[in-house]
Amino acid sequence: MSQTKTVAGQDLREMFSAATSWLEKSAADIDALNVFPVPDGDTGTNMMLTMRSTMEEAYRAPDHSASGIAHAMARGALMGARGNSGVILSQILRGLAQGLEGKESFTTTDLVNALQQSVDYAYKGLSNPVEGTMLTVIKDAARAAQAQVADGNDDFTEVLEATVNAAGDSVANTPSLLKVLKDAGVVDAGGQGLHTILDGALRYLKGEAELMRLRKPQIIVSELPHTTPLAQVAGVEEVPFGYCTEFMLKGEKFKPDMIKKRLEKKGESLIVVGDEAIVRIHIHTLDPGSIIHWATKLGTVHQVSIRNMDEQHQDYLEMQKDRMPTTDTAVIVVAAGEGISDVFVSLGAAAIVPGGQTMNPSTKDILQAVESTFSDKVIILPNNKNIVLSAEQVQSLTEKKIKVVPSVTIPQGVAALLAFDYEADFITNADIMEKALPSVRSIEITRAIRSTKINGLKIKRKQPIGLLDGDLVAVGDNNINVVAKVLEKINLNKAEVVTIYYGEETEAAEAEQIAANITEQHSQLQVEVIRGGQPHYGYIISVE
Amino acid sequence: MTLKIVTDSLSDITSDIADELGITVVPVYVRFGEEVYRDRVEITTEEFYRRLVSDATFPSTTQPTPNDFLEVYEKLSKEADEILVINLSSKLSGTYQSALQAQNTYQGKCRIEVIDSQLVIMGLGLVVIAVAKAVQAGASMDEAAELVRRAIPMSHSVMLLDTLKYLAKGGRIGKATNLLGSLLSFKPILTLKDGEVSPLTRVRSRIAGTDYLYNSVAGFSNIELLAVEHATTPDEADELIERLSSLCPREKIYRSNVSPVIGAYVGPNVISITVLEALKG
Repeated sequence: MSQTKTVAGQDLREMFSAATSWLEKSAADIDALNVFPVPDGDTGTNMMLTMRSTMEEAYRAPDHSASGIAHAMARGALMGARGNSGVILSQILRGLAQGLEGKESFTTTDLVNALQQSVDYAYKGLSNPVEGTMLTVIKDAARAAQAQVADGNDDFTEVLEATVNAAGDSVANTPSLLKVLKDAGVVDAGGQGLHTILDGALRYLKGEAELMRLRKPQIIVSELPHTTPLAQVAGVEEVPFGYCTEFMLKGEKFKPDMIKKRLEKKGESLIVVGDEAIVRIHIHTLDPGSIIHWATKLGTVHQVSIRNMDEQHQDYLEMQKDRMPTTDTAVIVVAAGEGISDVFVSLGAAAIVPGGQTMNPSTKDILQAVESTFSDKVIILPNNKNIVLSAEQVQSLTEKKIKVVPSVTIPQGVAALLAFDYEADFITNADIMEKALPSVRSIEITRAIRSTKINGLKIKRKQPIGLLDGDLVAVGDNNINVVAKVLEKINLNKAEVVTIYYGEETEAAEAEQIAANITEQHSQLQVEVIRGGQPHYGYIISVE
Repeated sequence: MTLKIVTDSLSDITSDIADELGITVVPVYVRFGEEVYRDRVEITTEEFYRRLVSDATFPSTTQPTPNDFLEVYEKLSKEADEILVINLSSKLSGTYQSALQAQNTYQGKCRIEVIDSQLVIMGLGLVVIAVAKAVQAGASMDEAAELVRRAIPMSHSVMLLDTLKYLAKGGRIGKATNLLGSLLSFKPILTLKDGEVSPLTRVRSRIAGTDYLYNSVAGFSNIELLAVEHATTPDEADELIERLSSLCPREKIYRSNVSPVIGAYVGPNVISITVLEALKG
């Protein structure tokens, strides 16, 4: 491929024009990523409309230099910015224009400077910059460009490619920076939009304009563990969100910083950007009237948009329903230990009832969890033989349809939940899940509560003991030794996966040691170690 | 009247079958960075999966261009009067669009029909095979097109993957997105529903996974054709075929490789079965 060393004004315009069409194709997909109450109900659409206004202005620009085009774009973006994401995008374009000031065409070095300006402007406009959003994405992208150029790379395509890749990685990482994204299992919508724009520009530069017409941008998917069940994320909260208020102020001698200061206490998600003549304001407030009223004293008010965010929230809840699996069956699980609960939730449990050995939940506790789910059909995994009965009582107390899959250990519960079939109906699923119970062997390591003699084993109080599928089969001096003794009773040659959940009082290092011992003797086994955090049991181990 | 059948390489139809039944297979492109290969023509399945695991660059795929289809239409025009094109799901690829565009540009004498099968891999392959057989037996264009439309809902693919990683990276995860984020590793079992990837269930071991595949075939009582495909595990595929021959005569079971293009999205070690149910009446 031929090298591109400089980009002229018209190329810049065509790159962003292609990027706008590219963004248009995935605007709806980006909208679907929105996570309330991260601002904006329709990020993809807002960014697309902002880009359209940006490009209209770019095509009207009398000056065809890179600087002239970039300034026209910045102006168009500010005039047409919609929503939080649109306003931040306008700041990014403004930084770009500043960085290209006076340039007829520009090099990779100029690009790096311009991107740095974009970062500065993007952060400056916000009263309360949040990481894990577009801000982080532009920052990471700029840093990647910087690194390329510092390495002496002057090929525009290569530098931009590295920039786009870094933006993509940054988007994928947004859930680890912003909990609300992690909970919903999505990436930041604004970041995704920005990545799509940069990607579109790159593809144009690479000469893929024809191909772009046939293809569609990809939405980056978060691969981080979900920590909250979707049902909970989409739960009904009665806190009012107020109004998303946006408008443009025209006049003279504005001081955006002063305006920002005045509005800081009036609401959330405040953004004030612009210059002496035009200022754009975005705020989430309970009292939009007083803000507009105040603004009319400073200058003329344009493009006023006031949207009720509680309505947006309802739309969001509807959208969440579409994202959920087509099944109408909820599974609730009895479990103790944070790590084990997280595992169940990450596998799709709708609710966790805290409980287990020596802390059996009451029928009422389980009933409450059943009633808290959206579904009318609920499968319960008791995961303990002393809880099966209480779980079975729930049916007589609720209108909902209940099936108890009588799992008596945590590994059985996990095996049952994994076997859940997304295409099967309620009754069939309960049947499939029950059939999955014997597919796993359960090992539990705990300490004897009294001295006794059982199954031919002489046991002293507080000695570590090992249970296999509920039967006491081993006793020893320490955990490592007991685990080894129990494992001897299982034909590991036919097994594929061993999962070790270690308890709240167990050292991680010991668990790793046990894992290493197993791998050493049975190299074909895949061994996973998870901090289960369960009380009483030093280890719960599943073999399948 | 001579009728020719055209499909794309994501039907996983092997060259032997294509030759035998007179099917033209248009290759999809697979790309590692700057290197572009035509699926199955310029890169072997083995080579592809080796690089998928070892290369730092994640491969991407590109549909055939309208021109690729146009060339095929023009070439077939010399011997045929009608061309029936059956493509993979338009929700997964723009191949169908390319075939349509080529149809619009085409100025030859042939009557061309292009169908979006909503299917992929042997789900598509078996439908194409069934229709090619019908054409050999004398089916007309209208009869063949009607047969395709009726066969589409009767074609069911079930895939066992080692991981969701590749599907997530490639952006084709569809409704299986709600399987993401598990703290435990598992092997997803997926199907294609309304042209999109959709989750069925999860298993922790390969054995449990192949059992699931076997059982899902056993659930059908009227199997017309059956296919077993693998990417990098030929022995496992052979074993599964052996087991399945108790459910379906061996000569009705097609064995193939999952196209590298699909491999780019599902990762190595994928194994899949497809059932084409017998059409009623």
